[in-house]
Amino acid sequence: MTKQQANWSPYDNNGGSCVAIAGADYCVIAADTRMSTGYNILTRDYSKICKLADKCVMASSGFQADVRALQKVLAARHLIYQHQHNKQMSCPAMGQLLSNTLYYKRFFPYYSFNVLGGLDNEGKGCVFTYDAVGSYERVGYSSQGSGSTLIMPFLDNQLKSPSPLLLPAQDAVTPLSESEAIDLVKTCFASATERDIYTGDKLEIVILNADGIRREYMELRKD
Amino acid sequence: MGTTIIGVTYNGGVVLGADSRTSTGMYIANRASDKITQLTDNVYVCRSGSAADSQIISDYVRYYLHQHTIQLGQPATVKVAANLVRLISYNNKNMLETGLIVGGWDKYEGGKIYGIPLGGTIIEQPFAIGGSGSSYLYGFFDQAWKEGMTKDEAEQLVVKAVSLAIARDGASGGVVRTVIINEEGVTRNFYTGDKLPLWHEELEPHNSLLDILNASVPEPMST
Amino acid sequence: MSKVAVDVPPKGGFSFDLCRRNAMLSEKGLRPSSFLKTGTTIVGLIFQDGVILGADTRATEGPIVADKNCEKIHYMAPNIYCCGAGTAADTEAVTDMVSSQLQLHRYHTSRESRVVTALTLLKSHLFSYQGHVQAALVLGGVDVTGPHLHTIYPHGSTDTLPFATMGSGSLAAMSVFESKYREGLTRDEGINLVTEAICAGIFNDLGSGSNVDVCVITKGHKDYLRNHQSPNPRTYVSSKGYSFPKKTEVLVTKITPLKEVVEVTEGGDAMEE
Repeated sequence: MTKQQANWSPYDNNGGSCVAIAGADYCVIAADTRMSTGYNILTRDYSKICKLADKCVMASSGFQADVRALQKVLAARHLIYQHQHNKQMSCPAMGQLLSNTLYYKRFFPYYSFNVLGGLDNEGKGCVFTYDAVGSYERVGYSSQGSGSTLIMPFLDNQLKSPSPLLLPAQDAVTPLSESEAIDLVKTCFASATERDIYTGDKLEIVILNADGIRREYMELRKD
Repeated sequence: MGTTIIGVTYNGGVVLGADSRTSTGMYIANRASDKITQLTDNVYVCRSGSAADSQIISDYVRYYLHQHTIQLGQPATVKVAANLVRLISYNNKNMLETGLIVGGWDKYEGGKIYGIPLGGTIIEQPFAIGGSGSSYLYGFFDQAWKEGMTKDEAEQLVVKAVSLAIARDGASGGVVRTVIINEEGVTRNFYTGDKLPLWHEELEPHNSLLDILNASVPEPMST
Repeated sequence: MSKVAVDVPPKGGFSFDLCRRNAMLSEKGLRPSSFLKTGTTIVGLIFQDGVILGADTRATEGPIVADKNCEKIHYMAPNIYCCGAGTAADTEAVTDMVSSQLQLHRYHTSRESRVVTALTLLKSHLFSYQGHVQAALVLGGVDVTGPHLHTIYPHGSTDTLPFATMGSGSLAAMSVFESKYREGLTRDEGINLVTEAICAGIFNDLGSGSNVDVCVITKGHKDYLRNHQSPNPRTYVSSKGYSFPKKTEVLVTKITPLKEVVEVTEGGDAMEE
């Protein structure tokens, strides 16, 4: 008797890396634009970054079909919120909503690895980092996706405060200036692209600050 | 190696035929392979099944026959060649996955065809067919093969049969190769894929799919 | 009546059939290990006066690039080179082994090695390991009988071709060859076509990347063009640069001096015969 086995999976991994860094009065969210499957590149120009509210941006890697479904749910929930409260959702509120939405599918998860970046009610930069089933934490910086194992140690070295006991986690914004943070993100991706085959083609950087929202692009290796 | 191979006797010799496709899964690794391998001056073998296994068997048999020819001082017979193939196929049946058709001419018995299928059986036959494409040919050969054909009739039969199999069997394709062996010696022929007869519902060869598409574009509607 | 392709257990529940076997195997020290794979594009073609081989220079270990500039065109003999795809250790070992056999054969015979000799040695080794030596090769060279190009699969089957590609990028590279290859290419045309085919692999296959290596072999001469093209420079270098000044924090310091604990015992068991 042979055992029955699933020879088909509802999931795929489309690769890609995401980074978010919070500063005192800004937040930088970045992701590469390569979408791939196996050893194939599906497209070199796919945005992984989604604006969820005026001061709230999500970058997601993993399975892009699930990511799109997740973005659609969040957009719908945000629309309802606006009708009921007549205002944009704050970033910490969206952070909780994202966690709830992910956990709602605890036993058939969204295969998406998200970082949420934005400005909180005091205008301070905030970053939330997630696992696929909704566990989340407010941090000063984070990285998710195929290149996160290469990027995260570098960010830790450059940005981590001496001890978590000295500084409460939610106040752990980085001491860098906005331009320094952008430079750091560019270096992260240029380096990750050198060693991670799923990261490359182009870097999309979204910057949130008191002036509003801004978008920048930078070329990455295409091999 | 999905294949169509054929051996046919006629009055005076044999005709061997094969397609030229070697595939690994979905990919055609070689579209012009030569599956009719020389063993001695007057004996050839058609190979099917695992490319590695059939190559190693024909390499061994060629080596043994070379020694045998030197010791005997005269050409080896087809029967000896076929029996060597059988011996190796039978003794190593657990490790091998190949079916072979040995054909040739010698002064004692004239043109002879021997089929050596998977387990190492040997069968002397007036004609033999093998490989994945052969299942499309049994009925055709029952109807079309005649005792005492001429050389040209036999070769035309082989070319027609291989092209029929190519049309129906996805694992066979490319060109048709034939080898004719008789008292005078050996003649090799090949028939390119675009010169083969077109069977039921087959399309003319095209260099570009765009040619077909452009030919059938309807006139734009005029107002 | 059609039958379902796989038999289903008549009752529900889990099957633990293989648990004992797996436990036994892992107890004996078997664990699936990750190998350095050269997810690769390698190619070769015959031009008017010889053979040109080409390769990319990326070596991967899963999704990570292990070597950005490795050499995949291996030396076999002064007139024969061989491109390798598959497990890096296997391609390296099998080509090194055969090249030493060829060297000994040359000392023995005082004649230039032939490409078919290398081909036969490689294929008989690979066949005897039944595909477990994961080496897919493109073998090229020029000998007394002229230029030769062969492909060798891990199971030991071989092909003889005017143009050939191998590795995970072989489909991308073959699309270039199938549309542009013709007989009697000049040296420059050949190098350009090989470079274009490798670049197709570098840019469209994630297992291939970095630079293009080319090796041109003609009668009595060869040119190994290492990093013939480098189409993938780093895209961004920070103007100020980054340093890593933070040291690991020392939480506790405790020094335990080493003691001499060597004991010498007299006698002991006598050796048995």
